[in-house]
Amino acid sequence: MSVVAFERKHDSGEWSDKELSALVAAFGAALAPGTGREWETGMTERGDAQFYLLSPLPDQACELCVSRIGGRYILEDGLGRLLFEHRNLELVGLHAKAAIPSTSWLMVRAITLWCAIRNTMHERFEPLLVEGEELFVQFVPQLAAFA
Amino acid sequence: MKRVKQQDVFAERPPVKAAPDAKQLRKMAGDWLKQRRADAEMSQADLAARLGLKYYTFISQVENGFSRVPIEIMGAWASELGLEQAAFARHLLMYYEPELHRLLFGAESK
Repeated sequence: MSVVAFERKHDSGEWSDKELSALVAAFGAALAPGTGREWETGMTERGDAQFYLLSPLPDQACELCVSRIGGRYILEDGLGRLLFEHRNLELVGLHAKAAIPSTSWLMVRAITLWCAIRNTMHERFEPLLVEGEELFVQFVPQLAAFA
Repeated sequence: MKRVKQQDVFAERPPVKAAPDAKQLRKMAGDWLKQRRADAEMSQADLAARLGLKYYTFISQVENGFSRVPIEIMGAWASELGLEQAAFARHLLMYYEPELHRLLFGAESK
């Protein structure tokens, strides 16, 4: 007689290796090197597993959290807003992937740098432009008179 | 719900000498909140239900030091723990925004 081994579904306690792999895979892009993000796990007082996606340094606050309560997976953001819940972790992973804040740390730095350059350009070149505009306003009536 | 002595619960302060980072400070805030909830003899599920949250997972998120108490529910959180709202917010500000707390209330204020 052959016995088929069914995988025991975790309803409480720590994450199984399979669950953890699924979560890390779902957050793969968010956890890519260079994003500065990390992940940690924790437990509720009732022993329900929690997975936290943390923002980059210096804050390292929770951006998204997946918890398992009674075999149900709960997806929340860092403000406690319930984003999705289901018994299928893969499905929750898909929603988690879509909910990841898209602005990377690198992007923020690039935007900050661009704003600084733009501001400097604006400060240096605006007086020249204003001067040119004043000259233009003065000469236009004279040019019109010659025409 | 058990009422607690206000002066004692707000006496706890983060260490002044070593400057802890944001993560450490949030963890300290979480430990303080956990203790206050225990004082009020409430479970995470009880508090979540009183705050109108479907699950208690966010209470755990905050108490484990990964998130802050959102400003929108800070007053209700304080009231459910039997604490004065302004003192509760001021105490949490000490962990969440220590520099702002110092500017507003000074280093030695309680």
